[in-house]
Amino acid sequence: MDQTIICRCEEVSLHDIQHTAATYNCSAREVKLRTRAGMGYCGGRTCRPAVDAVLEAATGEKAGHDIPMKVQPPVRPVSLSVLGGEVK
Amino acid sequence: MYDVVIIGAGPAGLSAAIACRESNLHVMVIDEFSKPGGRLLGQLHQEPNGEWWNGIKETQILLDTAEKLNTEIKCGVSAHHIEKVEHGYAIHTNIGVFDTTNLLIATGAAETAVPIPGWTLPGVMSIGAAQVMTNVHRVRVGKKGIVVGVNVLSAAIARELQIAGIELHSMALPIANTVTKKHADPKHVMDGLVRIAHLAPSAFLRFGSKFAKSEWVRDIAVKFYPKGGVKMWGMPIHIRKAIVQINGTEKVESVTMCDITADGEVIAGSEKTIDVDFVCIAGGLYPLAELASVIGCPFQYVEELGGHIPVHNEQMETPLKGLYVAGNITGIESAKVARAQGTLAGYSIAKNHAKIQQAMRDVKAVRESASIQFHPAIVEGRERIQRSFLEYENAQ
Amino acid sequence: MINRIVDHPVLGKLTNQKLVNFTFDGVTYKGFEGDTIASALLANGIRQLRVHEETGAPRAIYCNIGHCFECRVTVNHAQGVRACMTPIEKNMIVESGKLQATPFESAPEEWPRTYAEFEQKNKGKKVGELHV
Repeated sequence: MDQTIICRCEEVSLHDIQHTAATYNCSAREVKLRTRAGMGYCGGRTCRPAVDAVLEAATGEKAGHDIPMKVQPPVRPVSLSVLGGEVK
Repeated sequence: MYDVVIIGAGPAGLSAAIACRESNLHVMVIDEFSKPGGRLLGQLHQEPNGEWWNGIKETQILLDTAEKLNTEIKCGVSAHHIEKVEHGYAIHTNIGVFDTTNLLIATGAAETAVPIPGWTLPGVMSIGAAQVMTNVHRVRVGKKGIVVGVNVLSAAIARELQIAGIELHSMALPIANTVTKKHADPKHVMDGLVRIAHLAPSAFLRFGSKFAKSEWVRDIAVKFYPKGGVKMWGMPIHIRKAIVQINGTEKVESVTMCDITADGEVIAGSEKTIDVDFVCIAGGLYPLAELASVIGCPFQYVEELGGHIPVHNEQMETPLKGLYVAGNITGIESAKVARAQGTLAGYSIAKNHAKIQQAMRDVKAVRESASIQFHPAIVEGRERIQRSFLEYENAQ
Repeated sequence: MINRIVDHPVLGKLTNQKLVNFTFDGVTYKGFEGDTIASALLANGIRQLRVHEETGAPRAIYCNIGHCFECRVTVNHAQGVRACMTPIEKNMIVESGKLQATPFESAPEEWPRTYAEFEQKNKGKKVGELHV
């Protein structure tokens, strides 16, 4: 069992991702939802390519031309005081 | 309301701003960091002709020109969302929302992680982190360290640490796992190493680089790679040794190093503990394209360029009206290429047709004369992106 | 500032740096004007900036350019501020990231169904300790 951490924010291990991908034959999105890899503070900026690589090895899902784990706004954490800004 | 907002004040963003200001456009450059310059700030290396490439000086040259042209540059501003609106784009930032007709995304690259056991310990950092600490903040990242990952970028930065008087034990490969695969394969790493051989006085690598295109010569070079590593600037570079574990409880105390076969497999019983207080992880760069993704720009996966690239043409336009890209977001290359691309993107945005053709030639010329090539097939990768732009245009 | 590279063979000598006082976890440190929180602390020999909220594992800077958020600290009572991107200011109060209580230590079938059961299960535990 490889306990190497892949997603630092949520401390998801290589084993967690491999096991989840193998058990549920997951898409990148499903792995993200099941394990929380890529859902932490950094928004997957650090582990995204690593998660793609694990999935490619586990399920044969190759990174296509679309970015596998969809990027959602906000791409940085935003404090509530920032929201509601005016248009300049 | 701006004519153009530029996200990223690195070599691409600043050069683009200058080109736009030449045509008197209403420009604003934003950057997350407190100083402009981006990754250019940390760069410091000696060119093959002996001259120093000093990123701080190069940044200052760009800033002086930008200032003469009254360019608005806002630092400490981070964009978290972009919306397509009727007249252009609305840029959501921590200091408010800015409206603009054109948008240039020049957000550069992020470092690819190389996860190995123990890499979350304090004292483990990306190689770029060490570069910024050393050359920008002038802070020593530790007393003695080791570099995990052998590639163009890590060799260059290891040299910078050395120049600053920071002791490095060596450079070695990461232990092979599903993620580190490429970085842990001695043959793959050797291919990269021979491409930078001309920069360092190493007879072994220079010899190897002469045969770089021949696979069997490369395999022999890997097989008979010196036990003590090949020295570049006096520092051993190992491609037959891997770091299997970073050790420590509160922070880095040591690493465990193993001998590996020519295929990257660990040789049992070869473990050695090396005392270090910092570790630099080097997995290369990938284009940081999240903002382009959020607005729905189409992408192509191009390995030669480092990953998912926003589709764009030779003039740096994307298929989305008014959206431009420049610098490492369009593919991993040197700061000089980024600078030339920025200028080109600026002229494209300003519709300065008199200068676009020359700027396009400049990008090519800078690329051809680059002393460091991040990937041997960059030109082919660029052609693929441009073809997909045409396909996209034709489909519309 | 024990870790400062004052003399650099190519970049030259650091001169005329203005000192700035700030506190980290209640201790006052000096940094240079223009330092980030992360660089000022590392210059003073401080690596660890937080612990992982759930596991308590120690963490420090990783990318140092604002991408990874591993260096997040609390600055003047605002949480989630990147130490690598934030310049130090005079009298700035910086606090490290702390361990947080994990709400669910046990499996769902063991969770209390009433408040009385909850109190029974957590007898003697203090605020901040693991519950349920």
